[in-house]
Amino acid sequence: MTSRTPLLAINDLHVTVEGKQILNGLTLQVGAGEVHAIMGPNGSGKSTLAHVLAGRPGYQITAGTVSYEGRDLLALAPEERARQGVFLGFQYPVEIPGVNNVYLLKAAVNAVRKQRGLPEVDAFEFLGLVREKMRLMHIEDSFLSRGVNEGFSGGEKKRNEVLQMLVLEPRLAILDETDSGLDIDALKVVAAGVNSLRAPERACVLVTHYQRLLEYVVPDIVHVLVRGRIAKRGDRTLALELERRGYDWVTGEAA
Amino acid sequence: MGTPLTARIIEEHANAFGALPPAGPTAARRRTALEALTASGLPTSRDENWKYANLRPLERLRFIPAPAAQPLTPTDLPAAIPGFARYVFVDGAFAPALSAALHATAAAVTPLAAAPDAGRAPAAMPAQTPAPGASADERFARLNEAFATDGAAIRVAAHHEPVRLELVFVASADALTGASYPRVELRLDSQAQLLLIERHVSAGPHASFVNSAVTVDLGCGARLHHYRLQELAARAIVFDTLCAVVGRDACYRLYGISSGAQSARSTLAVRLAGERADLTLAVVALGDRQQVQDTYARVEHAAPRARTEQVFRGISAGRARVAFNGKIVVGKDAPGTDSRQSLRGLLAGPEAELDVRPQLEIYTDEVRCSHGATAGKLDESMLFYLLSRGLEPEVAQRLLKWAFLEDVVARIEVAELRRQIEERLALQVHEPLASAESA
Repeated sequence: MTSRTPLLAINDLHVTVEGKQILNGLTLQVGAGEVHAIMGPNGSGKSTLAHVLAGRPGYQITAGTVSYEGRDLLALAPEERARQGVFLGFQYPVEIPGVNNVYLLKAAVNAVRKQRGLPEVDAFEFLGLVREKMRLMHIEDSFLSRGVNEGFSGGEKKRNEVLQMLVLEPRLAILDETDSGLDIDALKVVAAGVNSLRAPERACVLVTHYQRLLEYVVPDIVHVLVRGRIAKRGDRTLALELERRGYDWVTGEAA
Repeated sequence: MGTPLTARIIEEHANAFGALPPAGPTAARRRTALEALTASGLPTSRDENWKYANLRPLERLRFIPAPAAQPLTPTDLPAAIPGFARYVFVDGAFAPALSAALHATAAAVTPLAAAPDAGRAPAAMPAQTPAPGASADERFARLNEAFATDGAAIRVAAHHEPVRLELVFVASADALTGASYPRVELRLDSQAQLLLIERHVSAGPHASFVNSAVTVDLGCGARLHHYRLQELAARAIVFDTLCAVVGRDACYRLYGISSGAQSARSTLAVRLAGERADLTLAVVALGDRQQVQDTYARVEHAAPRARTEQVFRGISAGRARVAFNGKIVVGKDAPGTDSRQSLRGLLAGPEAELDVRPQLEIYTDEVRCSHGATAGKLDESMLFYLLSRGLEPEVAQRLLKWAFLEDVVARIEVAELRRQIEERLALQVHEPLASAESA
């Protein structure tokens, strides 16, 4: 960890959903170049955290702050966050028939470029870049002209999320259970995609229930979320210990 | 029935008759139509199937055919579709100078004014056998028949290649001077094939009154792809009646895209009269501002093992009213019927109105009928997904509206036509957002 301002700083975050307290004083810092894993039992608030960071409506932030690149992230609309380099990989990617994949990718890239004062991407070069990333993610060519996630299998949807991430090159990637429902081959493909994006200026937050993904994407720090706050943190060996001893070990301690 | 409206129609008809040339439907047919109309009257909003239509303009417009129009030039018309012969009608009257006639020998297109009874097989009008449930509502078609002075009689014979034909009906007169009566009488012989584009457009911004009537008769094994575009100017009033009979093993693909006019009502009645007749009836309607887009589609299965797919996609924005009433009647002689209805509407404004209504009447066993109808707002999770990828809310909304319509539009196989439709729809789904922004 450096002494510079962390890329993402969450301080004492309290969030309710329909009056129910989900996040309960969560504090977390993610520095540039780091990969963090957020683990925890079902209902501990992992996905809520991911959605709140991306700006999904329906969550009430009752206390706390989130700063990203030193600025108030919570004050930004979802599309502004995306254009500033925040990316959410969805646990359940949405199917949008009638909007084709390549169109969405291009619109997303151009939104970021516009933000940076760059001209729109050259269509031909862009297609080349997308094809290259598609090969890495083992996605076939016909994908480009299909509707967004339309008729995709669970594994294809997750690979598509990572493909979007690779094309958009976010500064902060939050992957919400991107590993769930994947067989071992697909898991390796997804992990390779995430690893290819690791860089000193970027950070990644992996929200996961199992440590399996972390064998392939080795995190710098593992946090265990219990009842809306970080109950334990450690290095990658914590994930292994959780796997061995189960979440009861931590939830018992936190109670 | 002695309503003031029918009295006025009779009076205008009597005045016009002396001046009209003996063209279009013959005098005897006009008289029969007028008598039928006098007996039934025009629909009123108390009529179950007309409660969403805007019938008020009928009180103030004139029924006599519009006087001869100012000459138009090809630039007043939509861009031509490559490979399609074009027949243009201005205020209902054939305009040869604007047309590019057909060279195919398999088809004959005859202006009704030139040969009042040309191409008119006895079967050209749908059979009038009483159907279970309410019979097809042809009252506005009767009005057309009583007043029309011209139109297209089309007869297509069997040929290995489909005939490609475009009919452009241009409205240029104001409703205060007279009405436009587009008329099509179409007959496909056994095994004949036709790709037909039927467009209704305006020349100038006039508040035209258009009352179109189309009859379609498909012989055994005939195939018809029929694209109907209603793109009239913003103040136009249009009533449209289409009656079709589909014969044994015949296939009818009917696509209607209605986006123009102040007030539009389309009445579609299709009778699947032959075994294994196959129908796709797909309608896209867009309403904005104070537009009314109302469609009533009635499909009657009158023979065994016929198939229907009925699709509706409508968007209502501004203070518009968009309605689709889709009825499928499966008669007692129609075992093995397979019918599907997918009717979906999208409300794109707090003051917009949307009425989507599937109806199914079944009088036999052994049928497979499914229907789904939804009317709602844009899907929040789709919207958030697009925002999370950096798209502007306006762009994301537009894209989702587009995707909603694309479901139907993507099926249009004539590439240049699809391009023109997409171009227009792209503008239309853009407009409501722009006006919502400025409001």
